[in-house]
Amino acid sequence: MIDDSKPIFMQIAELIENGIVDGSMAEESQVPSTNEFAAFHRINPATAAKGVNLLVDSGILYKRRGIGMFVATGARAQVIARRTEEFFEQYVKPLALEARKLGISAEQLNTMIERSSGLAPESGTDKERSAAL
Amino acid sequence: MNDTIVEARNLFKHYKELNALDNVNLSLTANRIYGLLGRNGAGKTTLMSILTAQAFASSGEALVFGASAYENDSVLSRICFIRESQKYPDDFQPQHAFRSAALFYKNWDQEFADRLAEDFQLPVKRRIKKLSRGQLSAVGVIIGLASRAELTFFDEPYLGLDAVARQLFYDRLVEDYAEYPRTIILSSHLIDEVANLLEHVVVIDRGRIIMDADAEDIRGSAVTVSGSADKVDAFLAGRKILHRETLGSLASVTVDEALDSRERTEAQELGLELSPVSLQQLVVRKTMAGAAATGTGTGDFADDTMEARR
Amino acid sequence: MSRTVAVARMQLINKWTYIGWPLTILAASFLMSLAIFALIPVNEGKYGGGSQAPMWYFLVLGIQSMTLVFPFSQGLSISRRAFYLGTLGLFSLIALGMTGLYLLGGVIERATNGWGVYGFFFSIPWVTDGPWYSTAAFFFVVMMFMFIIGFWFATIFKRWGTTGTLVSTLGTSIALIGLAALTTLLEWWGHVGAWFAQQTPLSISGWAALLCVVLAAGSYTTLRRATP
Repeated sequence: MIDDSKPIFMQIAELIENGIVDGSMAEESQVPSTNEFAAFHRINPATAAKGVNLLVDSGILYKRRGIGMFVATGARAQVIARRTEEFFEQYVKPLALEARKLGISAEQLNTMIERSSGLAPESGTDKERSAAL
Repeated sequence: MNDTIVEARNLFKHYKELNALDNVNLSLTANRIYGLLGRNGAGKTTLMSILTAQAFASSGEALVFGASAYENDSVLSRICFIRESQKYPDDFQPQHAFRSAALFYKNWDQEFADRLAEDFQLPVKRRIKKLSRGQLSAVGVIIGLASRAELTFFDEPYLGLDAVARQLFYDRLVEDYAEYPRTIILSSHLIDEVANLLEHVVVIDRGRIIMDADAEDIRGSAVTVSGSADKVDAFLAGRKILHRETLGSLASVTVDEALDSRERTEAQELGLELSPVSLQQLVVRKTMAGAAATGTGTGDFADDTMEARR
Repeated sequence: MSRTVAVARMQLINKWTYIGWPLTILAASFLMSLAIFALIPVNEGKYGGGSQAPMWYFLVLGIQSMTLVFPFSQGLSISRRAFYLGTLGLFSLIALGMTGLYLLGGVIERATNGWGVYGFFFSIPWVTDGPWYSTAAFFFVVMMFMFIIGFWFATIFKRWGTTGTLVSTLGTSIALIGLAALTTLLEWWGHVGAWFAQQTPLSISGWAALLCVVLAAGSYTTLRRATP
């Protein structure tokens, strides 16, 4: 699950965000402790803590003293909004760029996207993403 | 908590025809897991021996907890260093070794030691002399873990241990460290296995420190670019190249630099493939680059290189 | 200080090393001697010298303390000083205990007129002829000497390897031969003989004790810079 492409703490933060987006980590629910993350992913506890703190700093997680770490209310919307922006930058822009090179019109492109979403079963998150776009 | 607990200044160790340590400067802070990485014979054990006053430097200074460890009980009582080739009294059984350690380490946890012995399926009542290489390693690992010494060294603790036992060691190490933070120095040349456990990495090669950085800073600090040779070379012109391989008109080049997202997009547009460089690959590349620079052979890391690529 | 005591306790964790084996060797050698004494149909004093058997074990013990226990003690971050004092201290106690046993054995031996078979295991002509403290001093010093000589040789070996051991052995032999040659040259053998004739078991113990102290001090200085 952990790879070498980027710092582990960023990967840990992403994994938690994934959980928040797919609903397995509900808002106001407790997330595992950094030591549990460390043991599960077999990584250095300090690194796991750094990943968790990244999310605390951006307000996605918050600390309850003496109890642990919880998912903040509104965390899901916040993560989805940011990821949607990233999605646009990372995927849509290059897609549009390549389409222009090949002389594919916006209409054709839309048809192609519709065709491809017919291939994959639609899920709630996809809907919300397209809604946000 | 960020106090320095190990400090080496201008350490040299000369043997007859060899500089085992060649001007080593090092500063380690408390409560981290350090990786001391390098080839066999790079100077890992020598460095640890000198820090713990088991051996003596030719010149330079080694301070642990602010003082030399030599004949210094207040420093020594906080250190545990079971070496890879550790010797034990002739008629000792593992249980005797554990009871000995209990006499000297105030944080010794006998229950933990018992549990570990069970996990490793170590026959605690067999003479140590008659144990297999793996079981012998397990004895050292158990003493290192259960002593909970403030500064614990593990000297290639995996020799003879199978994959399951090694994983067990890494798991127990992370768990116990999380609960009882302390400074761990893990010497290893199986870098891939330990990479994720390390907070900071020190790489030693032919007695010199060639890398001393936080593991997270290293991760993603290098990248391998592959594709058609002329495109790769044009794209990477002027960059710090660690390694270059070619196969016909294809090239695979590792650079000691990270690419930003614009550069990544550019590479993709050129049809170049980007792949991450593992810590082990990076260490191998840097070691080999160093060896090439001084014109010496690259010997036994070649196998690891192959392993790293598989 | 507590770490020095812990070094001694550590070496008693396996009771065989310092207690079990010496007693077993002593008992085995004693029983064997008795059996042999009983088989010899002579009704006067028979001396075997089997009581020296544990002494050879102490030589081995001295060697192993240095070659195996010392490296282990380093692994547990025990200072060389604590290791040295703890080990030598422990052995002194063991030697004292064994000396007591030898004295007791000697008393019983004389009271039973050689265990009923005229066999003398603990009594050695000349050596045990003096008062009890002279006998005690002799046994104690010999045991210490065996242990320390083993320890000393192993220290040399650890510190300087095979070459060092060879050089120091050869050096000692050459010095002794040279001394003998010098004595011959100066025709001093008569004096030497006279000197030896004057010695009592107690004075011999004294000289040996002096040698022990010199070797022990030498081992410590060497150990201070030895590596496991």
